[in-house]
Amino acid sequence: MRLVRAYGRAMWDARLILAYTLLVSLSLFILAPFLMIALRSVGKGWFGRLWLPPQLTLDWYRWAVEVGNIPEVMKNTLIIGVIAVAVSTVIGIFAGWAFGRRQMPGKEVLMAIILLPRMIPPITYALGVAQIFYTLELVDTYLGVALAHVSVCAPYAILVLSATFEGLDERVLEAAGVCGANTVKRFFYVVLPLIMPGILASMIFSFTHSYNEFTLTLLTYGPHTVTLPVRTYLAVGDGYWEITSAMAMLMVVPSLLILAVIQRRAKPEKLVGGFKGV
Amino acid sequence: MTDVMIEFRDVCKRYGTLVANDHLSLAIRKGELMTLLGPSGCGKTTALRCLTGYIRPDEGRIFIDGQDITGVPTHQRELGMVFQNFALFPHMTVQDNVGFPLMIRNLSKAERAQRVAQALRLVRLEDYESHYPRQLSGGQQQRVGLARALVYRPKVLLLDEPLSNLDAKLREEMRFEIKEVVTRLGITAVYVTHDQAEALALSDRVAIMNRGRLEQVGTPEEIYEHPQSRFVAEFIGLSNFLEGYVQAVDGDTMVVSVGGLQMRIPALAEAGPGQRVLLFLRPNEVELLRPDDPGGANVFDARVEKVTYLGDTLDYRLTFGQGLTLRVQSDAQRRFGQGAPVRLRFPRVRSWAMTSG
Repeated sequence: MRLVRAYGRAMWDARLILAYTLLVSLSLFILAPFLMIALRSVGKGWFGRLWLPPQLTLDWYRWAVEVGNIPEVMKNTLIIGVIAVAVSTVIGIFAGWAFGRRQMPGKEVLMAIILLPRMIPPITYALGVAQIFYTLELVDTYLGVALAHVSVCAPYAILVLSATFEGLDERVLEAAGVCGANTVKRFFYVVLPLIMPGILASMIFSFTHSYNEFTLTLLTYGPHTVTLPVRTYLAVGDGYWEITSAMAMLMVVPSLLILAVIQRRAKPEKLVGGFKGV
Repeated sequence: MTDVMIEFRDVCKRYGTLVANDHLSLAIRKGELMTLLGPSGCGKTTALRCLTGYIRPDEGRIFIDGQDITGVPTHQRELGMVFQNFALFPHMTVQDNVGFPLMIRNLSKAERAQRVAQALRLVRLEDYESHYPRQLSGGQQQRVGLARALVYRPKVLLLDEPLSNLDAKLREEMRFEIKEVVTRLGITAVYVTHDQAEALALSDRVAIMNRGRLEQVGTPEEIYEHPQSRFVAEFIGLSNFLEGYVQAVDGDTMVVSVGGLQMRIPALAEAGPGQRVLLFLRPNEVELLRPDDPGGANVFDARVEKVTYLGDTLDYRLTFGQGLTLRVQSDAQRRFGQGAPVRLRFPRVRSWAMTSG
């Protein structure tokens, strides 16, 4: 009996070790490209034969900022991101309210159509967007690129917000009414605090999607609307891996900031669901 | 009529072809706990929501304390309400939940704190002020709901199946707690439930509803002892129904033929010979006798088909006469086994004349 238990424990330990080995390997596998870029962006005279770069430098970052015109590009990216977030959130609030709180025929079909840009290959969708935008002369405008981003941001906003509104308990609103709150007070004291996490989550999701969006930008950008992912991609074509790596690293900074804020302020899964199922 | 707090006057509400409230007229007295009782879909919740203003009746008027409030919006009706799913504000602490109605009424912070503390004392939750609803058990949440409903001393307290989401034991406890609080404050309360035991235990009066109409209004005792319809008799407590017809009327008794047997029961004013009647017996209103006990009026031979042991009582299914079955509950003092012959005595039989058809 003892032997069996010892054997069982040994097996358990073995499984644990195996699991950890696999998970750590997987993490390294996932992180490897990122580490590669990080090292490349600060290394000098490093041609990949050595384990680590022989010399460290921040020169590539200076080059990236100057040659790559990063401040201008960052400004473009942020302006486009803000427009995309604003439009997506407004769409998300109205559509989410309809999806989450109303019974309507054809709800599933409509939802499927709204999710379509997320489901088909981005290049297919981007090609269509580009053709329409060329006729409308929206190519190489902030609004144009932002609207293209909306096609992927809005579905997220709608999903998050319809879940938020769905989780809004009708009875709680009724309770506020019986307690003496009129429509305005009901909105500010009860509805708004309850949906705020959902709206914030939707805005953060929309922004990160716009910020990261590549394919749609590639087919709608112009000289005045280069965004960070596109600029980095173009730098690859120039052949300077070190400068490109530095750009790529600069691009990561805002993402990490957002992640840090989310982690500190709220649990991400809570943001997604709002206050659903309290 | 000054002692009437709430009055429904001919209230109708339809949903398409479904009639939720069919000319509902009901007066609820000041300080009374009135229960609206009925199966789901009987219109009791609709009636309550007409009272809160969440639903507007198609016809009729509703008065609270003599004032016509039919067109008054919910937030101006000065009501307190306890909800089935508690409906607390999930983003507020217990203190803020209970203080919400006071905050809406712009009471000073000090007064608010004092009255919240008082309300929480009333429901024995003094130590939970800074908890959030999700940190409380169901029973505690419902007590917070009760405190929130009472904190601004409304004229009327509405309770919408407040105990349905609690487990059986807690339900019974809370039943007494609610009754206690309501009695102590002397507030007029409207209690909606489908649980007849709850209704009998809590209410000063019960209004039984069925298909949008009032079946009967009365004290729990009146309703249990003198149900005016088969629906009420069936809904409140356990009942046996036997169909028969009047053979003869003899002064204040009549002879009714039921399944080949003759029963002598109090005469119905409106029933002459040949009238079909429905007899009604509570399972605990039948005496079980040994087969060798002397016979007499309303004593019949029967057979035990099934016995179920219920702890303090035994539940018998009996057959007698020509295909008649009866459910009888008696104390466990005298036991009869399955298949045993017994004698039944009916000391008390109530009846209604049946309309033809």
